[in-house]
Amino acid sequence: MTKISNRDRLRLIGGLGAFSAMNAIAVPAAVLGGSSAASAQGQRTLSWSVNPEPPSLNAAFTSASIVQQVSSKMMEGLCTYDHELNPLPGLAKSWEISPNGETIVFKLREGVKWHDGKPFTSADVKFTFEEILKKRHPRGRATYANLEAVETPDAMTAVFKLSGPSPYIMSSLAGAESPILPKHIYDKADPSKVREVNAPIGTGPFKFVNWERGSHLMLERNPDYWDAGKPGIDQLIVRFIPDTGARVVAFETGELDLAGGFPVGLDDIVRLSKEPNIGVTSFGFAMLGAMHYFEFNMRDPQFQDVRVRQAMAHAIDRDFLIKNVWFGFASAATGPVSQKLANSYSADVPAYPFDPARAEALLDEAGFPRKDDGIRFRITHDPSPYNDRFKRFGEYFKQAMATIGVAVDLRIGDVGTWLRRVWTDNDYQTTSYGIYNTTDPSIGVQRMYWSKNIRKGVPYTNGSGYSNPEMDRIMEAAQVEPDPMKRKALFADMQRKAMTDLPIIPILNEDYVTVYNKRVQNVEGDVAGVYGTFADISIAS
Amino acid sequence: MNSLVRYLGWRTTQSIGVVIAIACINFLILHIAPGDAVDIMAGEAGAGDPEYMEALRKSFGLDQPVHIQLFHYLWNLFQFNLGYSFHYGIPVSELIFDKLPATLLLMVASLLIALLGGIVLGVTASRRPGSIYDTTISLVSLLGYATPLFWLGLMLIVVFSLKLGLLPSNGMYTIGKNYSVWGAALDVLHHLILPAVTLALFFMATYTRIMRAQMLQVFGQEFVRTARSKGISERRVVYRHVLRNAVLPLVSLFGVQVGGVLGGAVVVEVVFGWPGLGRLAFDSIFQRDFNLLMGILFFSSVLVVIVNLLVDFLYALLDPRIEVVA
Amino acid sequence: MTQKPSFLSLLLRNKAAAMGLVVLAVVLLTAIIGPFLYQVDPWAITGQTLLWPGVDPAHPLGTDVLGRDVLSGLISGARISLLIGVSATAASVMVGIVIGGLAGYFRGQVDNVLMRLTEIFQTIPSFIFVIMLVAVFHPSITVVVLSIATVSWPPVARLVRGEFLSLRQRPYVQSCIVVGMGELRIIFTQILPNAMAPIVVTASIMVASAILIEAGLAFLGLQDPNVMSWGAMIGFGRTVLRTAWYLSAIPGIVIFFTVLAISLVGEGLNDALNPRGTGQ
Repeated sequence: MTKISNRDRLRLIGGLGAFSAMNAIAVPAAVLGGSSAASAQGQRTLSWSVNPEPPSLNAAFTSASIVQQVSSKMMEGLCTYDHELNPLPGLAKSWEISPNGETIVFKLREGVKWHDGKPFTSADVKFTFEEILKKRHPRGRATYANLEAVETPDAMTAVFKLSGPSPYIMSSLAGAESPILPKHIYDKADPSKVREVNAPIGTGPFKFVNWERGSHLMLERNPDYWDAGKPGIDQLIVRFIPDTGARVVAFETGELDLAGGFPVGLDDIVRLSKEPNIGVTSFGFAMLGAMHYFEFNMRDPQFQDVRVRQAMAHAIDRDFLIKNVWFGFASAATGPVSQKLANSYSADVPAYPFDPARAEALLDEAGFPRKDDGIRFRITHDPSPYNDRFKRFGEYFKQAMATIGVAVDLRIGDVGTWLRRVWTDNDYQTTSYGIYNTTDPSIGVQRMYWSKNIRKGVPYTNGSGYSNPEMDRIMEAAQVEPDPMKRKALFADMQRKAMTDLPIIPILNEDYVTVYNKRVQNVEGDVAGVYGTFADISIAS
Repeated sequence: MNSLVRYLGWRTTQSIGVVIAIACINFLILHIAPGDAVDIMAGEAGAGDPEYMEALRKSFGLDQPVHIQLFHYLWNLFQFNLGYSFHYGIPVSELIFDKLPATLLLMVASLLIALLGGIVLGVTASRRPGSIYDTTISLVSLLGYATPLFWLGLMLIVVFSLKLGLLPSNGMYTIGKNYSVWGAALDVLHHLILPAVTLALFFMATYTRIMRAQMLQVFGQEFVRTARSKGISERRVVYRHVLRNAVLPLVSLFGVQVGGVLGGAVVVEVVFGWPGLGRLAFDSIFQRDFNLLMGILFFSSVLVVIVNLLVDFLYALLDPRIEVVA
Repeated sequence: MTQKPSFLSLLLRNKAAAMGLVVLAVVLLTAIIGPFLYQVDPWAITGQTLLWPGVDPAHPLGTDVLGRDVLSGLISGARISLLIGVSATAASVMVGIVIGGLAGYFRGQVDNVLMRLTEIFQTIPSFIFVIMLVAVFHPSITVVVLSIATVSWPPVARLVRGEFLSLRQRPYVQSCIVVGMGELRIIFTQILPNAMAPIVVTASIMVASAILIEAGLAFLGLQDPNVMSWGAMIGFGRTVLRTAWYLSAIPGIVIFFTVLAISLVGEGLNDALNPRGTGQ
């Protein structure tokens, strides 16, 4: 089989005229001669779109969700998860948690090989957790803070020694979040600079072939995958198409088979879903718990009175947003925890239904009457600039506030500006953004409300400056509570408190979808969706 | 010829000064910008950790005072070292040279289309000023000038990719297919048509208008009248005498427009998913990948300078009437 | 100055330019009195979203994603887009005149330094530079205008310099110098008025290109979110391009006609002002 790289193609084109003989053909004739169309035809190729292009390919060193998507095809975690987010075997066959929650014994899967042929052992697990995830993964420091050591009594057993119960560890072991790395490759002075960070060696169903930056990433089937017979794809092409319109066209012409998240404009998803050969599923995003939050800067004198915050909550029409901005791909949030986190969600919280009259009354009570020009006061709003629906939310918010006499000045900078304004300089009055609950509120929600997490300069921490000792106590208790029922009760308290104090108005749960060509089969086979391994996906031949 | 060498030497020295000044300006503007690459990376990660971010800043040298950073940057530039991309973690020069061929191909193709189209249309229009041809061509060239580039690209995609299914809408070649040499070349050409034409139309409009004006001007000159009075055929007058003289200003315009084409390439590369420098530059702004963006701006400034030097040189060669004075 | 009476007739004799003038007049009128004739708030969210043009007489050109009236957007956009075009041009012409004028009048070292400066700004790829400026300093309307001006002035400076260099040598200027007239006075009363014709022609084209640049920025998502310009409307409509293409098409067409009209007028001005036409 002949492969012609991007650069070689250009040299060839160069030979055609543009660059004349200067840098003409450097490709040996022998390489070019044996191109066979026959070998290509039997290939089952899946063309998958990921946007934006990930900056690197190894999710052990970053928690960027875009890196997690591609990394998880090559590298696996100790566990996978079922629909209720309970752990299932992955690289670990089984596990046992001691009653006090301070020891976890993992039995590892036998016969697993790294892509370079070396065997997978408990030494790799020890190295990965102690040297990489705990030290270099942005969320890993917090998740594995209590992990004192990983003991390896034999090659197929790894024992986690914890300084205290950490129930959230068992929900953080997926390959996307905590990938296991081969010790023999990364055991260097600076593991993040090892060449394989961007040409990963893993145990996953797909092997790295090459990465043409700005164009695509090519992966191929791992013939020695431990789950014999899988995956059902020979070639996985990860394409980076920057323009959303172009991605729609690529789906329509059949150039793209699969894309997750909100891969194209939401109205286009509605339209594509009506095409006979295209499927749309919201399955596979439960582990993200994607939400959209609106946040007050609690340092601002105008927001000291809770009635002002309540008034604004009453003035936001979630149904309008769901219908016209999210095109139906969202549901109204009742509190800071997504309804999808069944183990911790609670509906028993103060509610703020859409009621502009009530909003006006609250503002009057709080001492902000309409002035002669009909305006009560002016505020700024900095919506997250990550995508158009967030910006559109800002535009909607401006109009919604205008109806209750609050004048809003929108400020839309780029991402760098926005992050600095909100989390470093606290130079904002209100902001709104998308955020992931992840699989556990102690990881994904606590960070936004915990007064000890007011940390200047760190994005997606407690930026509002909200501080309530009672709230801190509840969340800290939930963090170490080994009993699931007691833990759920603590989370319910937390949600009630959050909706009473209202430093943040949770607006929506975002219902991400995967868009796929129907020739792709078993798209719903893995609860992790595009963050899964793709081992179960196959293509109709 | 000696004076020509001296002139070129002088121009080169000047250009080096210009390029250094550009590097400084870009550096300073980017450092006024709120937020840096570490903020963006932490934002992308959806989480962060102060020590982790501090360590990253340190490894990027972002913890140093601005003037020290500038000094380091310039010092590295002198050694032709553009530094590391924060975002991708690989050398900037590697990224640039990876993307350069794609952008060059796009630029050269569209400039050729624009130049050839502009000359043909301009000459045709100028032969009978005021005729229906002239009016039509002027109108068409104005259309090219007045249509927003991205809009044109989107419309071409709708028509040629979606409705007619003739041309690919995205990318530079068919990924994952094994072609022979010629097959691969044709594949790239196939992908090149839409983006190159989109980018070319705007510049073609300019060339057509200037070509027409030049032709009309040259037609009026003494030597053309002489040639005609000698009984030389009209066709020969047009192509041998007038055209040669009218093309000169186009050559100089070519130099000036290299920078413009690169700017247009940003939009076209975004619309057509063409994996080139323009897109890389666009992304790097939003990633706060200073090293990469400065590298691209520096590199493209050098490119513009070199093209302009070449144009000066060509001009001097083509038109002996021009005196080069240092 | 005796040319003056014939200038307008020259311009109007050019049919294309006359048509351009008519279109431009319509746009200008819309910008000035439109908001009084069609009193709909372009930001107001009405009940109906994504309404196609011609369906509901209450919204002749339809409504956008959030149910905002497209026609009122266009009308208020006329003001903003013209404002952006004109003020960006005014700013860059002013800078260009100062720099080009100083360089051309004083020559020598002043010329050398100013021309290097001009060269710097001509060498940086301008669109990438504009994107960088707007991204770094937030897309507010002032930033957009100033950024466009920052990359647009060098051609004016070069043009003005050339004019100054040649006009300075004219006998009437030389005699003013001999008489001892102040330099500023010579520049403003003698040289500048005679250099205005080519500047006006260039400026007219620059207005058109400023409007296009603004639209390009909006396409890339870099528009002032508080101001309804045509470019911003395209930006708002871009996300629903395939299902509601009219949202991008309508402001796109309006931009197209406006830019076309301005170019035609510019070309007419050029023909009328220098009948021999240099094409530069």
